[in-house]
Formats: sequence, structure tokens, C-alpha cells
Amino acid sequence: MKIIWAALLGVMLWRMWPVAKHWMENGPKGSQKEWLNVSMLIGGVVLFVGLLVAFVRS
Amino acid sequence: MSSQFTSPVARSESGVLAQHKVLRQTYTLLAMTLLFSGLMAVVSMMVAPPAMISMVCSIGAIVILMFVLPKFEEQAAGIGIVFLATGMLGFGLGPMLNYYVSVPNGGSVVATALAGTGGIFLGLSAYVLTTKKDFSFMGGFLMVGIMVLFGAIILSLFVNMPALSLAISAAMVLLMSGFILFDTSRIINGGETNYIRATVSLFINIFNLFTSLLHLLGVMGDD
Repeated sequence: MKIIWAALLGVMLWRMWPVAKHWMENGPKGSQKEWLNVSMLIGGVVLFVGLLVAFVRS
Repeated sequence: MSSQFTSPVARSESGVLAQHKVLRQTYTLLAMTLLFSGLMAVVSMMVAPPAMISMVCSIGAIVILMFVLPKFEEQAAGIGIVFLATGMLGFGLGPMLNYYVSVPNGGSVVATALAGTGGIFLGLSAYVLTTKKDFSFMGGFLMVGIMVLFGAIILSLFVNMPALSLAISAAMVLLMSGFILFDTSRIINGGETNYIRATVSLFINIFNLFTSLLHLLGVMGDD
């Protein structure tokens, strides 16, 4: 079953590669401000998960 | 339901109206698939199938979403296929949920993971919907990130490393948060015009977010 699962993930990787390549080469590039904005949002998610962990441990 | 799901593809009479229609249809179908998936998870918990059923259901759902759905995503029949795949994913959660519920403090971990998933999804979606910012610039980064993660998942199947498994879950939470921003922004900015595809993307984001958060909280919450 693990081998089937790994093979399926391999197929997914193979199918995703052209899409990823297209996005890397032709996708819009974000400015420093846009990436900072994303970092703050993801940072908020990290803090929130930290709070959830603290809640579960308490 | 029939009036809401007349055609999966939004016709472009007017750009903004079409995008609002896609958004409304996506969230309606997403809510229904989440409810159905939750119901199937409860059924699976009551039936208590062997643990291997999780992998079988996941493989089945991925095959359906990867090879069958693309042939029907422009037709109303695609909705039935989405329900089939999301129902299978929900059913596959049963053994994992039964395991967590059986350990001390497990019920609280499951409830917290569920609430956390809802909080992250609603918070990030609300941010994109209110600011209407375009996050399409994250596409390349997210695609490469998910490919690296898939590589790590393949490795973790054959190498028993708890730290790697934990790192995969943590990275999955961050990547799925990024994908929620990216996918929602694509819907409201016209990058995605098919609500069946949009629903599947958001469902997968929420599903992966929940399972990864459950794993993280299960491990980190344990003394």
C-alpha cells in the first residue's frame, strides 16, 4: 500500500512539474511589500497555532 | 440546488458579477461538501473500519480528483464526483479520529484542531475578501513548496522519522495557509472561473490543514 501511495505521489509530482515551471517562469512577481504582507499573515497563523498548542497543553 | 448549480463555468456577461457568482457558488458547494465529508467521518467513526481504509480512501479520492474530475468539471455531473471524492476523504478520517478520541485529552485535541482550522480559514479568507488583494505572485513559491513537501512525504513513507513527520505537518499548515490566500484571491480576481475546481482546491486546503493541525496538536499537546 505504501508503494502505491508513493507511486501516486510520484505521478502527482510529475504532473505538477510543468505547472510549477510555468508559474516560476511566467507568474507575476511580488514586490517586497507584498511578500512582507504575506509574511505577516503567515506569522499570524504561526502565532495562532502556538496559542492552540498552549491551549491543548494547559 | 439546481438553480444554484446550473453551469459550473461562470459566463462572462459582466466580469464582477461573474466573479461574485463563482464565489457564491464555490462557498455554497464548499459548505455542502464539508458537511457531507464531516458526516462521512462520523459514519466511519461508528463503523470503525481498519486503519488501512484511510490510505485506500485517500488513494481513491486522489485518483478520482486527478483523472476523473477533469473530464466532468465543466458539467453539472462534476458536482456528484466532488461529493464522491470528498465523502471518501471524510470516511478515511474515521480511524485517525477514533485513535485521537481514544487517547487521554484526545477529544479536546480534535475539537481544537477543528476550531483552529475554521479560524485560520475564515481569518485568511476574510482578509482576502475584504482587501481584494491579488496573491497570484505566490503561485511559483507555493508550487515549488508543495513539490518539495511531496518529496518529503514520499521519504517519510519509507523512513521512520517522527521529527520529519512533524516538520511535514508544520510545513503543510503554512503551505495550506498560503494556498488559501492564493486560491481565494484567484476566485475574486477572475483567475478561477470554474466553481467546481475552486471548491476542490479550497476543500483540499482545509482538509490538509485540519489533518496537519490535528497531528501537530496531538504530538505537541502530549507531555
